[in-house]
Amino acid sequence: MSDTVAEIFKLFQDHLNNEQEIREVNEIRNNVKQIEKITRDIVIILQNIHNEHTEENIIVADYCTKARTLFEDVRKYYEKLAIIVPTDQYYRFHFEWKSVTQRLCYLASLVVYLEVRILVTKEIAADILGIKQKSEDGFHLDLEDFLMGLLQLSTELSRYAINSVTNGNYHQPMEIAHFVNELNAGFRLLNLKNDALRKRFDSLKYNVKKIEEVVYDLSIRGLKPNTNITQESTVVQGNKI
Amino acid sequence: MSEYKGYSNDKKNQHNSYHKINVGDKGKEVLQGINENSHIIKQFKKYAIELDTKHDRYERIVKINRDITIESKRIIFLLHTLDKESKRNTILEEAETRINNLIKILFKNIALELYGHDPYLYLKAYRTGFQEFIEAISFYWYLQNNTLFNWTKLAESMRYRIKDLNENEQYSVEEKTIQTLIAPVEYILGIADLTGELMRKCINNLSNGDISSCYQICNFVRNMYKGFLSCAGITTAEVNKKMYVLKQNLLKMENVCYTIKVRGSEIPKHMLADVAIVATEDMTLDIDEGYRVY
Repeated sequence: MSDTVAEIFKLFQDHLNNEQEIREVNEIRNNVKQIEKITRDIVIILQNIHNEHTEENIIVADYCTKARTLFEDVRKYYEKLAIIVPTDQYYRFHFEWKSVTQRLCYLASLVVYLEVRILVTKEIAADILGIKQKSEDGFHLDLEDFLMGLLQLSTELSRYAINSVTNGNYHQPMEIAHFVNELNAGFRLLNLKNDALRKRFDSLKYNVKKIEEVVYDLSIRGLKPNTNITQESTVVQGNKI
Repeated sequence: MSEYKGYSNDKKNQHNSYHKINVGDKGKEVLQGINENSHIIKQFKKYAIELDTKHDRYERIVKINRDITIESKRIIFLLHTLDKESKRNTILEEAETRINNLIKILFKNIALELYGHDPYLYLKAYRTGFQEFIEAISFYWYLQNNTLFNWTKLAESMRYRIKDLNENEQYSVEEKTIQTLIAPVEYILGIADLTGELMRKCINNLSNGDISSCYQICNFVRNMYKGFLSCAGITTAEVNKKMYVLKQNLLKMENVCYTIKVRGSEIPKHMLADVAIVATEDMTLDIDEGYRVY
């Protein structure tokens, strides 16, 4: 009798070992680590958008180009992951690459926003990451991960709005306010469950509010670009008080 | 002076934030200006549909999961009513039919929901019911065969039965999915719960005067405990909690066996159970406190 109990637990141990093997020997972890490393590099490059710029567009375009080059490396590692992970077991190991994928979605959406001022679609984000769009095709971009990335984008944009004002760009916050408000309207169309995405979404309204306040601050001081007051040095001083 | 200025500025900002009407102007303007056909809105309408489909499927599985849990608990309760040898066959037969019904109907429904989807995405929706089911089926198995139920058997039997019932090839293909999804970790967690039922059974047996089976059950659980200890690599909080309960159950049973051994000849059998339980409770209290100290 004890044999069977022992045998069953042996079987279970084998199963655990097997799973461990898929994770480690097959290098899911290693590949994810590589992706995480590149992601950090992209984050650092894109942090530069908050710097004071003399030539706005050129520099932003420069960072975006650099980021895009790094995305090429990201695609390579995702390709490897796609080979390792069995097609119908994406969610078995999902936890491993979940957070880095969310982060990359945020970075991809930021790059696209900086370049063309539109919201990236899930399809394009998947293309930038070099993974499939639909779950039927194997290693894909999970919708909730993508949406999480967009919410992270809103946080970064609210920061960008504030720093743009500091750098004397009063036009930027207006555009960002428009964009984030529209994003907010979009998110309201979703029926969210009481999960992580919902919690993250709740923080979106604070970002919206923060940007609104920036816009308000500019408006009451007559710094809103469409109020026809040119950006003179006196105005900049006025803002500092 | 400059300090004062800074202070008043803060004050002003705070004050501003109370008047949201002004602050939210841009938001209102954008919201009113939003076109149903705008790029973002169109995108999000698509995402909403995708999310809803996923959540609906998840909820449907949760419902089935609840049904499985309820029925499994009832089967366990039924198995506990087995006290006389004469009732043995009827009860075991009824339990078997009901277990089979679970496999044939509810688990098949889960398989149908999972068909064509990544089963790991929905595992969370039905894992509790599955654990409860494992508890029921392994309890039944123990009473029938005095051995531990093997999950690989379940995988086989599930597929086998459904194939027999339906000549439809598709169903058997789906059953394969559910099979992989008999996640061994969930099985092990279900087995851990089984020890609680066995403990209850052990004490019931004692009050029925069936002393030999008390020793037998105790040994069986001891072997299981050994098995759990031998497994490296499962150290989630959930497993640890169950291991703790498992050990408590085992200690209770060991104390029952001790009482039988020491005082069995002094006390009439029908009273032994009460004495043993009291002794057990005293012991476990001590042990509990011992754990708290560390």
